[in-house]
Amino acid sequence: MAGKQQTSTVNSVSKMGAGFKVAAFIIAACLLLFILIPVLAVLLRSIGIGSGQGLTLEFYTRFFTTSNHLEALTNSVSAGLISTSVILIISIPFALYVTRTPRSPISRVYRGIGLLPLVAPPFIFALSLIILFGRNGVVSNVMNDWFGLELSIYGFWGVVIAQVLGYFPIAYMMIESSLRSVNPSLEHASQDLGATQGRTIFSITLPIAGTAILKAGLLVFVMALADFSNPLIIGGGTPFLASSAYLQVIGQQNLEMAAVLGVFLIIPSLLVFLFQTYILKDHETASINNSTENNPLNPVVKAVVVFISTLMAIFIVVMFTMVVLSAFVQIIGVNNTFTLDHFSDTTGWGYIWNSVIVSFFAALIAAGLGILQGYFTVRKNMAAKKLMEFIALFGLAVPGTVMGIGYVLIFNGPPFFLTGTVLLLVMNMAFRKIGVGLESGISQLQQLDSSMEEASADLGSGPVGTFRKVVLPLLTPAFMSGFVYTFMTAMVSVSSVIFLIAPGTNLAAVYILNLADQAAIGRASAMSFILIVIVILCMGLIKFIERRANTSA
Amino acid sequence: MDDRSRCSDDASSLCGDSESVTVYTHNDEEEMNAFVAAAEEATGVSSDVLRMSSEEGWSRVDAEYPHVGADLQWGTLHSFALIAEEQDMLVSYDSPAWDDVPDEFKDPNGQWYGWSYWFNMVAVNEDLLESEGLDRPESWEDLLDPQYAGEIVMPDPGTSGTAFLFVSTMFQLLGEEEGWEYFDQLHDNVAQYVQSHSAPVQMVAQGEYAIGISWDQAVLDRIDEGYPIDYIIPEEGVGYDLDVVFMFEGTENQEAAEKIIDFIGSDEGMEVAAEHRSMVTKPGIGEDDQEFDFIDYDAVWAAENRDRIMEEWQERY
Repeated sequence: MAGKQQTSTVNSVSKMGAGFKVAAFIIAACLLLFILIPVLAVLLRSIGIGSGQGLTLEFYTRFFTTSNHLEALTNSVSAGLISTSVILIISIPFALYVTRTPRSPISRVYRGIGLLPLVAPPFIFALSLIILFGRNGVVSNVMNDWFGLELSIYGFWGVVIAQVLGYFPIAYMMIESSLRSVNPSLEHASQDLGATQGRTIFSITLPIAGTAILKAGLLVFVMALADFSNPLIIGGGTPFLASSAYLQVIGQQNLEMAAVLGVFLIIPSLLVFLFQTYILKDHETASINNSTENNPLNPVVKAVVVFISTLMAIFIVVMFTMVVLSAFVQIIGVNNTFTLDHFSDTTGWGYIWNSVIVSFFAALIAAGLGILQGYFTVRKNMAAKKLMEFIALFGLAVPGTVMGIGYVLIFNGPPFFLTGTVLLLVMNMAFRKIGVGLESGISQLQQLDSSMEEASADLGSGPVGTFRKVVLPLLTPAFMSGFVYTFMTAMVSVSSVIFLIAPGTNLAAVYILNLADQAAIGRASAMSFILIVIVILCMGLIKFIERRANTSA
Repeated sequence: MDDRSRCSDDASSLCGDSESVTVYTHNDEEEMNAFVAAAEEATGVSSDVLRMSSEEGWSRVDAEYPHVGADLQWGTLHSFALIAEEQDMLVSYDSPAWDDVPDEFKDPNGQWYGWSYWFNMVAVNEDLLESEGLDRPESWEDLLDPQYAGEIVMPDPGTSGTAFLFVSTMFQLLGEEEGWEYFDQLHDNVAQYVQSHSAPVQMVAQGEYAIGISWDQAVLDRIDEGYPIDYIIPEEGVGYDLDVVFMFEGTENQEAAEKIIDFIGSDEGMEVAAEHRSMVTKPGIGEDDQEFDFIDYDAVWAAENRDRIMEEWQERY
């Protein structure tokens, strides 16, 4: 891989045209303004700079002497560790099952179920957990009647379970794709030499997929650590880093303490990001062989993985069902008569429209600029391109809460007074995800030979013309993947934009959180249901257009 | 494009060209939707609303000033109106529509107008009390009884004005030292401090907890909806607070905002309010037959001591 990339970049890097220079400059300025500067502002504010007090470590001292904040730190870290371990333990057998029985219709259904949580707001599982296991939950009451057990899901463990369900698809996706690419001949060799399949999986398959599993684990850990909405809904007052930071800002306008909490959120993310980009990068152990099919599983191993996958699949389906049911009944578990009242919320519909518009433009910008930047990075001799690539990818790693606080610090006054505008919401969402467009653009361009571009240039096209007529069409798949990912995540994201909404620019996901916060479970479920349906419809539409475009081309 | 309003630089369709105002409120969505729709029908002014709990809204205003992101605050604590007035954040407007409203409910300089008042109320789930074998509490003091451990939900005074009203009521009743003692003991019985003021009632209504501390309309609405809950006005009396509307200094839609203030003070506006509130400030509108035990709540004291109390609260709980 690395060698191929070298050759194609070396002979294709060319000089920048004037139009490109302007574009590169604009992208660079935006990356600085919408990613780097807000994060720096948080770091500086945590040591008192910008608050009018000058350099001080007072806020860190206060952090370490406040039991509540320390508790938030330990809770966030331990919840992150526990949910990451559980997710890995479940997603490996789940991925094994799906990759080893590719023809089974059940495994395809499981795959869909495993990815389902991606289309829902990240806190949807906290809602269904309350419906099922709350103090008056459907399951809790049964347990209470039969065994005299008093269940209450509020608190630390509720947050952990909600995180396991919510972040499972991320780990699952990464592990699945790496298991797919394990060369089956290695497994054959192991088994020919007498190892059982169980042993083969543990000593051959998983080590080969080790890098991907490690990456998945790290990513999930960082996301769980930065989890903001689950603690708010189901934490029952237990402090966690991101939710405490949010409450410091909205309840007390204590931006300094919020910044300190933000620093503790960002340090692990930064470490993981650096580790992934610079250390894991060269360890991509690819014994890639897509031509042969993965080995089927023997009955014992299959029984184990099917058992675990089925439990997880059922759990996810039950959780979604609860949300759907509670959207259509008065109060689930208390008064189960059918009603459509929860849907008659006209403000909510307006917020969904806002979300669609904002997410659409954010996705357009993230995918468009991301790919353009990818083009500059691979093909052009742009100044500081490595640094810009770093910043764009770093944007993916910054916890939403930190980014939100940074935006409050930077955009709440001159010279960039953007608070309360739709533009700020769009930019926030776009630049948090621009790294995805950039990465897919880069990887696509590295696979394309530059000879076509050279031919176009030889025939007299200017650099911009070449880009438009030759490069762009080739990059459509990369654009689509950046667009889809940004749109989907923007529709359901909360942690960052919750700081930036204003009268008239409220967003659906934030509104659902607000409803959940008022314990209006029925209306929150109804809105979530609509949001999920819209996200799925939009994805379907995009897939449809993509397919049409492919067949007509 | 020489209009340098905030609307013009956000290249979007979300800002209409007809008259509209931006509003911060602490009113619940349901009430505010009805209020906004009635106001638009009567005045032609449409409102873009952002709902935040009172404390949340105030800290946002405080942080944004002098560039407050809304024209109006349509519903918040009386105390915040007093603080905002003292800090010169508000615009004076002498509204003729409010002439019939007694002077105690409005500012002599026309900086804020109070259209209704609301008070603390306790919700209990009767089914749950019975099945758990708990006594029905009758006073604030009763809530300290260990039998209620883990059964009480109240909003967090860091985010909720309802909770702050409760806290400052107890301080005014008991004095500061005993007040803290009261909350130290209550803390042992509180299962959750939630962010939103109406969540405790909702949780009690859904049978999750037996007792919720909230405000009158949140409780009465759930009772009307047929939930198995009842309300309690504790014997010692409850604090009440005026719900106020005011215009922020720097508003670019002053004319439209004035129309909204006129509407709220009109008979029509007061009648809409009375559908959602126990009491409105205009004589002769709404039911006047209810009698509740109010303490002589001092909103000025609450405004002056708020920061200090809240700081101590954060440290303790």
